[in-house]
Amino acid sequence: MPADQPATLAAWLRTRTDEQLGALLVARPDVARPAPSDVVGLATRLAVPVSVDRALDELDATTLQVLDAVLLSPTDGVPRAELPGLLPDVPAEVVAAGVETLTTRALLWGDDELHAPEPVRRAVRYPAGLGRRATDLRVPLPRDLPATLAELAPDERTVLDRLAGDRPVGHLPDSAAGSLTPARRLLQAGLLARIDAINVELPREIGLVLRGDQPLGPPRLRPEPEVTRRDPSVVDQQAAGSALEVLSRVTDVLTALEEEPAGLLRSGGLGVRDAKRLAKELKVGERDIAFLVEVAYAAGLLDVGGAQRDEWLPTRGYDAWREQDLTDRWAVLAAGWLTSPRLISLVGERDVAGKAVNVLSPDVVRQTAPALRRSALAVLAEFGPGEGLAAGELVQLLRWRTPRRADRLSPVPDLLAEAERLGIAAGGVLGSGGRGLLADGEDGAADGMRGLLPAPVDHVLAQPDLSLIAPGPLLADLAGTLAVVADVESSGGATVYRVSEASIRRALDSGWSASDLHDFFTRASRTPVPQALDYLVDDVARQHGRLRVGAIECYVRSDDHGLVSQVLSDRRTANAELRRLAPGVLVSGLGADEVLTVLRAAGYAPAGESSGGAVLTRPKAPARAAGRRPGSPAAAGPRPLRPEDVAATVREVRAGDAALAARRAEPVRQIPGVTTASTLELLSRAVSEGLPVWLGYVDAQGSGSQRVVQPVSLSGGFLQGFDEGRGETRTFAVHRITSVALVGPQDAPAPS
Amino acid sequence: MPDGPLIVQSDKTLLLEVDHPQSKECRAAIAPFAELERSPEHVHTYRVTPLALWNARAAGHDAEQVVDALVRFSRYPVPHALLVDIADTMDRYGRLTLANNPVHGLTLTSTDKAVLEEVVRSKRVAPMLGARIDADTVIVHAAERGRLKQALLKIGWPAEDLAGYVDGQAHPISLAQDGWHLRDYQQEAVDGFWAGGSGVVVLPCGAGKTLVGAAAMAEAKATTLILVTNTVSGRQWKRELIARTSLTEEEIGEYSGERKEIRPVTIATYQVITTRRKGEYRHLDLFDAQDWGLIVYDEVHLLPAPIFRLTADLQSRRRLGLTATLVREDGREDDVFSLIGPKRYDAPWRDIEAQGYIAPAECIEVRVSLDDEERMTYAVAEPEERYKIAATAQSKLPVIRRVLERHPDDQKLVIGAYLDQLDELGVALDAPVIQGSTTNKERERLFQAFRTGEIKTLVVSKVANFSIDLPEAAVAVQVSGTFGSRQEEAQRLGRVLRPKADGRQAHFYTVVSRDTLDSEYAAHRQRFLAEQGYAYTIVDAADLAGPGEVNGPDWVDEGA
Repeated sequence: MPADQPATLAAWLRTRTDEQLGALLVARPDVARPAPSDVVGLATRLAVPVSVDRALDELDATTLQVLDAVLLSPTDGVPRAELPGLLPDVPAEVVAAGVETLTTRALLWGDDELHAPEPVRRAVRYPAGLGRRATDLRVPLPRDLPATLAELAPDERTVLDRLAGDRPVGHLPDSAAGSLTPARRLLQAGLLARIDAINVELPREIGLVLRGDQPLGPPRLRPEPEVTRRDPSVVDQQAAGSALEVLSRVTDVLTALEEEPAGLLRSGGLGVRDAKRLAKELKVGERDIAFLVEVAYAAGLLDVGGAQRDEWLPTRGYDAWREQDLTDRWAVLAAGWLTSPRLISLVGERDVAGKAVNVLSPDVVRQTAPALRRSALAVLAEFGPGEGLAAGELVQLLRWRTPRRADRLSPVPDLLAEAERLGIAAGGVLGSGGRGLLADGEDGAADGMRGLLPAPVDHVLAQPDLSLIAPGPLLADLAGTLAVVADVESSGGATVYRVSEASIRRALDSGWSASDLHDFFTRASRTPVPQALDYLVDDVARQHGRLRVGAIECYVRSDDHGLVSQVLSDRRTANAELRRLAPGVLVSGLGADEVLTVLRAAGYAPAGESSGGAVLTRPKAPARAAGRRPGSPAAAGPRPLRPEDVAATVREVRAGDAALAARRAEPVRQIPGVTTASTLELLSRAVSEGLPVWLGYVDAQGSGSQRVVQPVSLSGGFLQGFDEGRGETRTFAVHRITSVALVGPQDAPAPS
Repeated sequence: MPDGPLIVQSDKTLLLEVDHPQSKECRAAIAPFAELERSPEHVHTYRVTPLALWNARAAGHDAEQVVDALVRFSRYPVPHALLVDIADTMDRYGRLTLANNPVHGLTLTSTDKAVLEEVVRSKRVAPMLGARIDADTVIVHAAERGRLKQALLKIGWPAEDLAGYVDGQAHPISLAQDGWHLRDYQQEAVDGFWAGGSGVVVLPCGAGKTLVGAAAMAEAKATTLILVTNTVSGRQWKRELIARTSLTEEEIGEYSGERKEIRPVTIATYQVITTRRKGEYRHLDLFDAQDWGLIVYDEVHLLPAPIFRLTADLQSRRRLGLTATLVREDGREDDVFSLIGPKRYDAPWRDIEAQGYIAPAECIEVRVSLDDEERMTYAVAEPEERYKIAATAQSKLPVIRRVLERHPDDQKLVIGAYLDQLDELGVALDAPVIQGSTTNKERERLFQAFRTGEIKTLVVSKVANFSIDLPEAAVAVQVSGTFGSRQEEAQRLGRVLRPKADGRQAHFYTVVSRDTLDSEYAAHRQRFLAEQGYAYTIVDAADLAGPGEVNGPDWVDEGA
């Protein structure tokens, strides 16, 4: 190793420029928060298994293959220049790009020679789909491996070939009594290693022999999916059609919930019965209802409310939303869907207990959902306008792009279908609105969709069959009024309202007069108001209000009308707020108790009466308060890292590092329980370079000791190594290590 | 953005703005795959149903044309999902075909193994199928042709019936077009039917459906069985056939309760065919009595359920259904489609009226206020009695008389549902009453007298709802009905729609008791008429009759 090459990851990080460190923080934002105190701290963070996994998860298959090439190389460092030779089928520039991606993320480090940090090695369990080494699996390999393999029976060879493919681990099939399955024969022959009761693993050496001249497997280049090409204007038209549809449907759902809210289930969702009711009212399927309700919820138009917080109700946001123009309304829905952590396609699926998942149930929250949606749509956005992918092709491409997340891709076809229903895409191609949404969120979505949705209309066409047809989306206030005086019969591009006796009565109930209605119809209709409509209004108005209903708290009655009149005119009973409803009957807005008290105080002898007319003594129940139930708070994802955050963090790391450098000379000591960054740096360097160290260690019983250890690995707060004094491999908890020093050839260890 | 005349709704209804310059063109484009549901003044409603889409496929239209028509004429962008759904639905038709195999007889063949597999496994369908010939073909029991089509339609895989028709026994029939000609729409209807093989022609009452039947017979030139609703209607068919075709009296038989003649052309009533004795249909032999080449079903919307079952066995014969409306109160439109055939021709009433072939009609609802006594009787009546009390209120009588007085020179019909009311009206108006118990002979006599103008006013019960031919009735007054039945409304309106010799306007009055069930039912009928495109006027009895003639002033209520 040339002397000027940094020896550890931390040392290498120190040589990186601010821009490169910034890029690292951007690519692996989880290590940037809270800001690491110095480069060693940063290196430690980078070694955290969760962080490594997350970083690896974002890599595409080609980049992972480049990493595999380094991991599989027998020596730790691989010279950069040799790498393309290891991947003969991958173009050199692709390899170079892969290396760049990996070093930017510190998944590989080193300038001339590439090193893989230990945590990365551990995170990639089966590099290039190969098993562990035979020695690690404790399998003695046959002396002449190729010859042994050549002698295998065909069925045994098939098993081995399969395990030499993508995954070196396989299930051991149940063997019928007596006969040995090929896998079991292989196990006996020592060509497979048993790793637990049912799984076997193929040792790396055998895999490599089987693979022959492609030790890394076939090249994993970016697949060239069949691109769907369509006229961008047609795509926009169709997307706008879907957008219009979903807008009117969501409005319908919310209007229905406004009239009759749905109950909140104890488990948090919306009940099946309410979903069925909505489906019936809107004449759509229950799955459609699930989608519309979830979209409304994701957009913040629907939430738990009501006096007892036990109902699903339109939110205040809905009122504001209704006032917006169509484009903005659509943008709210689209953006809400994109960022929602809920996987709508899971609604209606059976859970482990066999119970169908309810609409709005908290069970469908998947924090990965927004990222999955975005990554799927981002793939589509990479194509030009009018170009896109069918669901199958999209999944294939995503599988290449994030192979380690391939198991999470199953919702992608559903997500794409949802995007199409929302008008974000059409036929696998992103519309202008969808592109805007991905680029600039809600505002971008609105800008992209602008001009594609029809302008609102301010009139209806009244027809003699008592239908009112709004030939387009209505202005909000007109739509609000029509919702009172008429019922929606069909919606979509236009809305068909029907005026019926019931709807007119509803309008009268809500304070309209017959002449208001006549005026409204005359004003709103562009066609002459049909005579039948005027008649209907008059007919209903004539009948309206013949019966009167009012609320009172109690009554005072007596067969003695004179007595009743006397009570009414008695000044002392003024506090009872009595009024005469009919001869012999007085009513009051006050409670029976109060009226009784007033009358008694005035010298009368009233008696309470039950609903059946029997005389009562005091009826009174203890008061109770209505209980409250907290609603499920909306989940918020982590705040994205802004460029200024990145710059600040890099500065902080640098400053911390400078401070550290000043103290570096002295050997590291540690107070038990405090793991300093330099201890870890020293240990990780010892691990990577295979240097023995002096360890001051306090065991679980509290007794201290000094030992020389040949470290093997450092992870998760534990150091594994060969304790030379005791001659065994042991695991040391890092927080119990009191001091560390390298056992240098030149300086004798100074036990402390 | 294109400013088309069509708006596509989420529920797959299409709204067509009639006043739009492109509306005619658009109508022509969507008519093959969308059913006209309502045609009020400004915006017509069409509905795209799977049935309609499959009919379009049967008529040779493909999904591309349908989607193109929607996209081209739509004012707003059409949701992609809807277009995909339409294409998928249309794609279901024709996966299965019924055909005659020279070796195995009737077979069901599929181009899609999965579909055939699904169908063969369906509980509903399996019993009708025989042995499997190969992966794509399965034998069908010949007798199950109709029921199989019915069942396949229900499970969503409609079969294309290519098994063809038997020609039947040939019999020379031709139209005698002396001094008259088949109208364009009638010719189109016949052509549409003949090209499709079997199916239903929808024409308004008075538009000459009988002639369409006659022309279809002339096309078939084979023995024909005509099924009609009742004897009177059957005789009318006979008269018309003798007058308009080469057929003679001797060639036409009547198969009814009174006579059982089987001739090359036989007219049978639904009733006689569905008569059962000891649980068995006694006249089924009629269907086998001749090798019929054509079966005509008059008034398909009234076809009784047993005849559907019988029709299922007649799939190898050409079938023509005639009707004014496909609305069946029992909702069995599906059966009409799968057993008789798809709709082959349809024209909105107003279009034919505009061409002058049926009389323009003025629909007037006259509102009568009940007097206090009647209102009280009504208020305390049992719910099931209420309609009758409202419909037969005495207060209607002077109004009816006044209405009739407005048309002293016209032929007038008073139509009602309650016999005692009709008898009362007969006495009060001094007019003969025709009801169920009136003999056919007496009916014929009175109709003849009415036709000649000897009698100006007839009072008829609901027996006259169907198929009586009163060419000169210019005014109809309905006083009571069957609970707002839309079908009845169509029939009654048909009574006055036949073109008048002098092109006068027809008048259709409905006398209704205000604020009762009667007016509620009237609202149903009103909606139906408005949906058919008729202007509907409501008049107060007082305005019609002049004040003072309707008893009691209390109908001048508070408040409008």
